[in-house]
Amino acid sequence: MLRRGSALVVSAVLLVSCSTTEGTPEPAADSPVRGGTLVAAITADPGQLNPAITTSGDVHTASELMYNGLVSLTPDREPVGELAESWDVEDNGALYRFHLREGVTWHDGEPFTSADVKFSFEKVLLKYHSRTAASVGQALESISTPDERTVEFRFKEPYAPFPLQLDVTEAPIIPEHIYAGTDPLENPANLEPVGTGPFAFESYKPGAEIRLVRNPDYFIDGQPLLDEVVLRVIPDAESQVIALEAGEVDWLFGVPGADLARLEEDGGFEFLRTTVNPGGSNCIMTVSFNLEKPVFQDVRTRRAVATAIDSQQFVDRVLFGQGKVAEAPISSGIDFAHADDLPDMPTYDKQTAEDLLDEAGWIRQGDGTRVAQGVQGIPDGTPLSFGFTLFTSFDAYGDLFKAQLADVGIDVELDPQEPDIFAETVFVDRDFDSNIISYCNGADPEIGVKRMYVSSTIGPVPFSNAAAYSNPSVDSLFDQARTTVDPGERGEVYRQIQEILVEDLPYFWVVETEATRVYSSRCGGFSQAGHFAEAAYCRQ
Amino acid sequence: MSWGYLLRRLAQLVPTSALILLVGFALIHLAPGDPVLALAGEHGDAEYYAFMRAKFGLDQPLHEQLFTFVANLAHGDLGTSYVQGRPASQIILERLPATLLLTATALTIASILGLGFGIFTATRRRAWQDTTATTVLLATYAAPVFLIGQALILLFALGAGWFPVQGMTSAVTPSNGFSHAVDVAHHLVLPALVLAAPEVAVIGRLTRVGLLQELGSDHVRTARAKGSPPPMVVGKHALRGAVMPVVTVIGNRVAHLASGAVVVEVVFGWPGMGRLLVDALRDQDSPIILGIFLLVSLTVMTANLITDLIYVWLDPRVLFS
Repeated sequence: MLRRGSALVVSAVLLVSCSTTEGTPEPAADSPVRGGTLVAAITADPGQLNPAITTSGDVHTASELMYNGLVSLTPDREPVGELAESWDVEDNGALYRFHLREGVTWHDGEPFTSADVKFSFEKVLLKYHSRTAASVGQALESISTPDERTVEFRFKEPYAPFPLQLDVTEAPIIPEHIYAGTDPLENPANLEPVGTGPFAFESYKPGAEIRLVRNPDYFIDGQPLLDEVVLRVIPDAESQVIALEAGEVDWLFGVPGADLARLEEDGGFEFLRTTVNPGGSNCIMTVSFNLEKPVFQDVRTRRAVATAIDSQQFVDRVLFGQGKVAEAPISSGIDFAHADDLPDMPTYDKQTAEDLLDEAGWIRQGDGTRVAQGVQGIPDGTPLSFGFTLFTSFDAYGDLFKAQLADVGIDVELDPQEPDIFAETVFVDRDFDSNIISYCNGADPEIGVKRMYVSSTIGPVPFSNAAAYSNPSVDSLFDQARTTVDPGERGEVYRQIQEILVEDLPYFWVVETEATRVYSSRCGGFSQAGHFAEAAYCRQ
Repeated sequence: MSWGYLLRRLAQLVPTSALILLVGFALIHLAPGDPVLALAGEHGDAEYYAFMRAKFGLDQPLHEQLFTFVANLAHGDLGTSYVQGRPASQIILERLPATLLLTATALTIASILGLGFGIFTATRRRAWQDTTATTVLLATYAAPVFLIGQALILLFALGAGWFPVQGMTSAVTPSNGFSHAVDVAHHLVLPALVLAAPEVAVIGRLTRVGLLQELGSDHVRTARAKGSPPPMVVGKHALRGAVMPVVTVIGNRVAHLASGAVVVEVVFGWPGMGRLLVDALRDQDSPIILGIFLLVSLTVMTANLITDLIYVWLDPRVLFS
């Protein structure tokens, strides 16, 4: 049984504001102050402000400060109570009973109750929030509300990842009294939201800005500190940096690698590294091998490609240091599931790559290229050459990939495409040899890892099993992991999965990417995701 | 010119717009990609995608989708935006004033500066002032809009601090009434100048050529011989004939301004329709895309019509039948 109370939340917040480790909020140059306005730049106009009906990062970035989840996640991705004060886990993980916080009100003054939670899940999240619908929706049996302060989720079988899927990004709670009986996609409140979050809606000028004001009745005492948060829409990344330098904005959610070094040198700014973004967290740039293509049938060829890749160069030259070499199929951001020291995880070794290619029957010619000699399914004399499909915005990855593989005699043809066309080419038409995708793992492997490897996700669903990998033991291990509630035991199952994956190599995991938040030195107290400005302050 | 002519020209707008919408509809719906992907992000399952497609009628055959679109349009309804869940016409109209303000200001600046440059260079033919001004104009014409934009931001906003870097209003001190107008005007200067820059070049060059031709013509020589002072010769006798082609160009440049506005709005964070179009194209939000197509094509056609009418006013010999 798990019980986490508000005391834990308060101590987490205190911990957060004192901590100096990377990835947690920066220390204040001065002590926090009350009042003032924070101007944050956002990249795109969200169009609407209801985070429950979409997983769009633009909408979540612009709206999460106005809403809450049942839980929030600490920087270590541990769930602590938010709208829920505590919870019990029964029936070996098939029943979750949440005890809701007392005295929480919506921004319009109406009381928040268990009916809001039931409504948000049944009528909105499980229909329109694609991540929650695809995972929780499949496993859930029923939701009941024994009283106004209690809500119970019953699952068909034990469902371990649930507490990690209840933060404001995965499951924001919206008011039943405003949405009941309406089409949630077309409710006018999507433009004038009513939430329970630290900031309340003030105004929205489409394409220009969203203004939020302090929620004076917020359930965390003393928060928020800021009077106002203004989210300015500045689509161009360079213009965002210039606006920060000119003092027109105080906070950027990300900054191009090339500008980062300059801002660091210039001074006057603070930096917060994070792997968490409202659109997806714990992302790994992953090369997929299309296992339906003859060239990738032999695992030695796949391993040769993987060992010919020098991932550190991607960190240095593509990410400008905003990331690290991936060491396992599951992100290091999911601590309990990430497996260290996998002996079969490929690391850069040019000689091994050359040897593996020779063994697989790809023989070097005088001009340095390789041709097939006894490779199964491929006529002798066929040159070793394959396509590499990628988003146009990932061109720097493509150039480096091509250059590194040319070094061991592999010819790569780059095929850059716009994202929606990419999705169709790779997942619907399956007309590609290899590709690179930023697979975001999320807070739990059930959210963003499983879809890459289980055989049931081979097919037309975008950003699922690109490799068309099918291994019955992996399928059943994922089932086992979902129903194993003890984190230690669950982690062991994920370790077994990763051991098989690095042996089979349907993919190669290149780098874990990070974003760098940059903010003016006169501000502080930020946290990584969701309610990034909940405890923030700005000296005017 | 008769009322009949005007009515005929107005009636022509209908089939032209219909054709534009039809081509636009086909282009958007036959292009690869899927609007549901933009909505769902990357984590939906097959069931979710099917549900959303059905909700927006995207699972229907294309001809039925077209039929629904036309039927709605006949009632003045462009349809509901997939992403925003409200009428596309409402969304477009919200963003229209910002774009109108930007393009109208740019067109005014371009016309005044262009005519000014044209007169200045034509009356100083082959002098160093002519050569310098012509070179500068050609450079602004050749430079991409985003480059001029970034350069002006670095020089006058970040460098000199005279103008704000981005946006249409100040973020920190919202204003009302007159101070609001001043605030918007302050934010408008740089984007309007950038959008006007290539148009100044086009209008300036054309005015110069036209004016030089007129200055060598018989009626101008006669005016000079009669002793009219030089400003009078240029302003009254030569300019009227010289601006004929310029008017045509100004009318035709409306389309260029609309496309230039897209880039300028992105660079300056100007909350107009151009940026709405960029977002809608990314999301394949076809009701918004088609609505903007319709609006822009109607504007261009109207601008052409007005150009033709100004022709008649400038030169009564031009008769339309």
